[in-house]
Amino acid sequence: MASRYLIAASIALVVVSLSFAVAYGALGTAVPLENIRSLARAYVTLAYAPWNRTLTAMSPEAVTSIVWDFRGVDTFFETTVLFGAIIGTVTLFRGIKPSARIGEGLSIIARSAAAVTAPMILAVAAAIALHGHLTPGGGFQGGATAAVVALVILVTFSLGYLVSGLSKERALMLRSAGLLGIAAVALIPLILGGVVFQNQAKELSQFSYPAYIGGALTSGSLLFYNLFESLAVAAGLTLTIMLLLSPHEVVEEAVRGEEHERV
Amino acid sequence: MSEFEASLSLIVLFSLFANTAIALYGVFSKPNLVKKLISMTILSDTANAFAIVIGYRAWPSPEESPVPPVLTNISGGYAAVQELVQKSVDPFPQALVLTAVVIGLAVTIFLASIILHYHRTHGTVEMVVSG
Repeated sequence: MASRYLIAASIALVVVSLSFAVAYGALGTAVPLENIRSLARAYVTLAYAPWNRTLTAMSPEAVTSIVWDFRGVDTFFETTVLFGAIIGTVTLFRGIKPSARIGEGLSIIARSAAAVTAPMILAVAAAIALHGHLTPGGGFQGGATAAVVALVILVTFSLGYLVSGLSKERALMLRSAGLLGIAAVALIPLILGGVVFQNQAKELSQFSYPAYIGGALTSGSLLFYNLFESLAVAAGLTLTIMLLLSPHEVVEEAVRGEEHERV
Repeated sequence: MSEFEASLSLIVLFSLFANTAIALYGVFSKPNLVKKLISMTILSDTANAFAIVIGYRAWPSPEESPVPPVLTNISGGYAAVQELVQKSVDPFPQALVLTAVVIGLAVTIFLASIILHYHRTHGTVEMVVSG
């Protein structure tokens, strides 16, 4: 019982000291901070600046410019964490093959509603992903929205219906294609005389993705990053949903079979 | 900033800290792994909301309402960008939170599958508490 009080006291201590640190600048910074705004000012000024072509990302959306241009390498490693987690899930469920036996699913009303809304959700997801460099949104959000379609189909039709259209291997392939696309977009500037993750031309390396294609603003590499990222996120999340919701007996069988082999 | 707005932001900050406390309590003292997972998602969401709130600090003109850091008037030239700079929120915490949310989702799925396997092999999601 004493340990319970100790835990409660330690939590209270952590929270109070954390709030003190934030409120009174115990992390070694003066309150109010002198120049907290200058970084934001620089990012918003340079996100879309055709008159300053060597520093801009050519995207009116400051958040996407930060994610894929100003701090692109950050995002690269964050993506690595995301796919490490997905690979971990796939590894935990190795040897399990979601059966393609099509079940009954929900009532005809639910199935009709899902059949109508699924393409709409997909269209919204595509709009979020492909307009990521113009309006709020991007590859992550678009991909997560697209994964909802898989979930809706899984619940209203059945797991078998989803697997018969998009097998585990095919989802893995799509995910890998998205990742390869990101890698290609990041490495193409290096091959053509620029630096890794370069978008627009800089003073010392002249490589530049086209900011406009056919008169439409595409913000150089940002459109391609969003496209491939949404593909990879949608396929990866669909894959994990498929594995997590596979029936108990199938998983049981796979786990048992492995034990037998070991013996 | 008016008195009402100041107290409102205090309430937001206070509830974020209260959320942190509740989430930490759940992670430390609940033996049920699913409850631990739920508490952890509350903790990460609180951290994300906190980062977003920090983006609103050092607001240049507190009298006007903030706008998202998105340039809507592309043909407006340099003047439009300067106007946006005066009004927009800090985009940097939003960019960090954006990826953190998706990674949090993937990590949650990973932990959920570990818990599912735990349940399949042990028949329970409770941790054994000794003493």
